[in-house]
Amino acid sequence: MKDQVGGNQKRARFQALCQSLRPDLLRFAFWLSRDRALAEDVVQETMLRAWKAQDSLLDEAAAKPWFLTIIRREYARSFERKRFVTVDVDELVAREEPMLAAAEEQDLAELRAALLKLPDEYREPLVLQVLMGFSTAEIARELNLSGAAVLTRLFRARKQLRVLCGEDTSLDPLE
Amino acid sequence: MMDCAHYRRSLLADPRDPEPALAEHREGCGECRLYTERLLHFESRLHRALRVAVPDSAVPPAAGGRPAPDRTMPLRGRASRRGWLAMAASVLLATAVAAGLWLSVPRSSLASDVVTHMREEPDAWRRTDVPVPGRALQDVLRDSHLRLTAQAGVVSYANSCAFRGHRVPHLVVQTESGPVTVMVLVHERVSEPVEFDEQGYRGVIVSVPGHGSLAVLTRGPTPGLETTLHIARRVQGSIVWTD
Repeated sequence: MKDQVGGNQKRARFQALCQSLRPDLLRFAFWLSRDRALAEDVVQETMLRAWKAQDSLLDEAAAKPWFLTIIRREYARSFERKRFVTVDVDELVAREEPMLAAAEEQDLAELRAALLKLPDEYREPLVLQVLMGFSTAEIARELNLSGAAVLTRLFRARKQLRVLCGEDTSLDPLE
Repeated sequence: MMDCAHYRRSLLADPRDPEPALAEHREGCGECRLYTERLLHFESRLHRALRVAVPDSAVPPAAGGRPAPDRTMPLRGRASRRGWLAMAASVLLATAVAAGLWLSVPRSSLASDVVTHMREEPDAWRRTDVPVPGRALQDVLRDSHLRLTAQAGVVSYANSCAFRGHRVPHLVVQTESGPVTVMVLVHERVSEPVEFDEQGYRGVIVSVPGHGSLAVLTRGPTPGLETTLHIARRVQGSIVWTD
């Protein structure tokens, strides 16, 4: 009985953890895939895999990177299962409009459209840093890159984004 | 000393890099201070842009929920999900049975909700001396009808967050004891100060007569609750209500 109670408490904690992380995991999956339906599929499958493998999560503080690793694998698997058709970014922005425009601040729409246009290799570290709060070392570990490579990608990501958004880049440094 | 190009390259890679050499350059270079302020304003917009809306009703499958039907969802999304939903249903059934025996379901108290929200924004806790640009801070505070005086200290993070159905200011103030998070909860009332120590966060929720309450949190073993209370009083004293 004691073991059962302990197991139930552990499951309850894991459930609460999933609940608290799910919004940001969905956001991460969305920016990774640029497709809302796919993002929901990926997160749903991630939750199931995480549920089955919860014993391998030894430290709750490491939950976020643990989930993100599963999401990235699930996203990669989705390519193995299906062949996606390449879509035009403008069409993509229009299709995802309900999610992109749901926020109160309409002036963010332009920035979101620019984010969708960023190459994947720049967008992903930027999302990890700004949205998920990862340090350079954590991004490097997650993406299997050197710290210097991560910083270069982050630099280029912001530089391109600022140009796409029509920001004043006259004082931005050259590479 | 670091040159301007090096400083700006570092800033574009990580605008909140706490490296002392960057702070030193910023102190001595007016043009780079202005550049930093503009970039941080852009960064604040970028953070809000990335926080796209997600379905409120979504519950982890393991918790017994499923996303609400979405008429805009492409067919391929629905088809691929069907198989997993069937599998999820069997997992959930077992979970639901176990749920009846759970003895330790997290309480949905105001303090618990505040702590849960903290876990969603870990990047806010950085120790830095770079303040949020004034305009970005004003944008966040405007809807709650308040402004802060300089007495509050350096506000290094400001975001308008969804919390219990309302948008609330989520601020991080840099203090001598490290970063302290402040949430202005104009829609939440407490009859007496609520002290809490949960999941590595400790803090207090104090009543603000006529304006709901204020949650003040610190992270880690220090500072103690007494210091947190002192900080809460200081922040409360720095608020000017504009309505």
